[in-house]
Amino acid sequence: MKTLTQIPLGTQVLFGESARQRRRLEQLIYSVFHRWEYQEVIPPMLDYYDVFSKGMGVESENSMYRFVDREGNLLALRPEFTSLVAKTVATRLQDWPKPLRLCYSGDVLRYETPRGGRQREFVQLGIENIGGERVACDAEVIQVAMESLQRVGIKKFQFNLGEMGFFAGLVDQICLSDQDLITIKKLIDLKDFIGLQDEMERFQLSTQQRKALYSLLHLTGNAQTIDSARRLVSNEKSLLALDNLKALYRELQRRKLAKHVTIDLSEVRGLDYYTGIIFKIYVPDLGFEIGSGGRYDNLLKNFGCDLPSVGFTFFLERLMSVALK
Amino acid sequence: MKSTERISVALPKGRLLDVILRLLCEADIEMVSYKLQSRRLVFQDKCGHFQFFMLKPIDVPTYVEYGVADVGIVGRDVLLECQANIHQPLDLGVGQCTLAVAGPKGTAQADYRGLSAVRIATKYPRITTEYFTQRGVPVEIIYLSGSVELAPLLGLSERIVDLVSTGRTLAENGLEIIESICNVSARLVVNRASYQVKRPAVTNLIKRLTDVSPKTAYSTPRL
Repeated sequence: MKTLTQIPLGTQVLFGESARQRRRLEQLIYSVFHRWEYQEVIPPMLDYYDVFSKGMGVESENSMYRFVDREGNLLALRPEFTSLVAKTVATRLQDWPKPLRLCYSGDVLRYETPRGGRQREFVQLGIENIGGERVACDAEVIQVAMESLQRVGIKKFQFNLGEMGFFAGLVDQICLSDQDLITIKKLIDLKDFIGLQDEMERFQLSTQQRKALYSLLHLTGNAQTIDSARRLVSNEKSLLALDNLKALYRELQRRKLAKHVTIDLSEVRGLDYYTGIIFKIYVPDLGFEIGSGGRYDNLLKNFGCDLPSVGFTFFLERLMSVALK
Repeated sequence: MKSTERISVALPKGRLLDVILRLLCEADIEMVSYKLQSRRLVFQDKCGHFQFFMLKPIDVPTYVEYGVADVGIVGRDVLLECQANIHQPLDLGVGQCTLAVAGPKGTAQADYRGLSAVRIATKYPRITTEYFTQRGVPVEIIYLSGSVELAPLLGLSERIVDLVSTGRTLAENGLEIIESICNVSARLVVNRASYQVKRPAVTNLIKRLTDVSPKTAYSTPRL
């Protein structure tokens, strides 16, 4: 029997200055969200397991705190907010004026190994923009994220912008099994060129396909990266994704935000529900990303209402280690 | 973000260090006041672009994962075992050896089916477990932190999984390679955020190292 003073792995208590700092950050960031007319949604702490597994994909299955209720239903503690917000909009708010602008803040739980800046219980703070025009809303959520960072005193940051459609177009041609796709994504994510080469030996690929997949690892940089990428592919899905990316980049230039943006087509991992642009947010001197987001046009369909959506979340504990200094 | 931004590099003490230092030298990166017997653990290069930390190999991925070191160089065996969440953009092609299953000479065809599980002594519990369970072979892993060749000699285990380079240590202890698990060589690893935020400097380092690495190394795979 464990003594009562022991704490479960991956949990923590905030008190004194750290508790005050958490609330201060939440207030400051919320003030930016509210200024952009994002309204708060406060969903429940738990829901049926399927609500989360549908969106997050097979890889996240093992990282959820699941339990069986007294009627034998499988439930889970929320590992993220987006699925819950999507479900709420699809079932209760589908008649609200579009785009819906919603925000949230709270603890989520993931049963992962606490390492590299991850705890099992951590705070997500973010927004969802649902049912609006693609480029404008993509640019808006990025702008809200940037202004939030500036509001809490972070002036130097980098948004790495990618597009899921580019990669999806490439792999469509290869007919990978789910397991193989996970492996490939992991190798690209780790930038493990050699591992990718070895994996690719198993599939019959044309030189062009091979070249395109390996080039993914190098396709990072300024807007010219998009043009370089265009020369490598001929399938429609990938080309459309590049058009989207270009359109968004132009819009960000128009809003004078492009200086914080790096194009990164090797950004392929992340939640399964992303269908369009995706981005990760980095700050100097922190070894991990402090936030991430993207477009997920197919999620609300699962709950019976087809609306395109885009959003992002901050990982508050990581933000706390660099903000307000 | 200039390419002259300073990069911190985690280096592994031990068997790989000399060959890595030679490679860095060829890439025109030389450490200031480094002496073999020195107990110092932090060094600069002569241009002030790099800072080096001397670490136990097993700790290199940790320092890189947390971003305290922007990049690191370490053997692939360590990376496979610890599964750190870091980029691996370059194989340096040096420090080549094999991670292999070994056993007493003449036991390659031995029938272990009568045993409920084969005992395998190793420094690499994760790699070993995965290797055998993927093949449907039940194993009992005995974790040892060193002198693993002793285990079959003393009857602690039937097999070992260990790094083999010339094979002399195995031979001298009456052991031979039963099967090869994978090739191992030194790899460059990069912290995820540093790869993005210090991109010019990191890319510059990768290029310099690629240029001097043996032909077996590559960062852009062959088409």
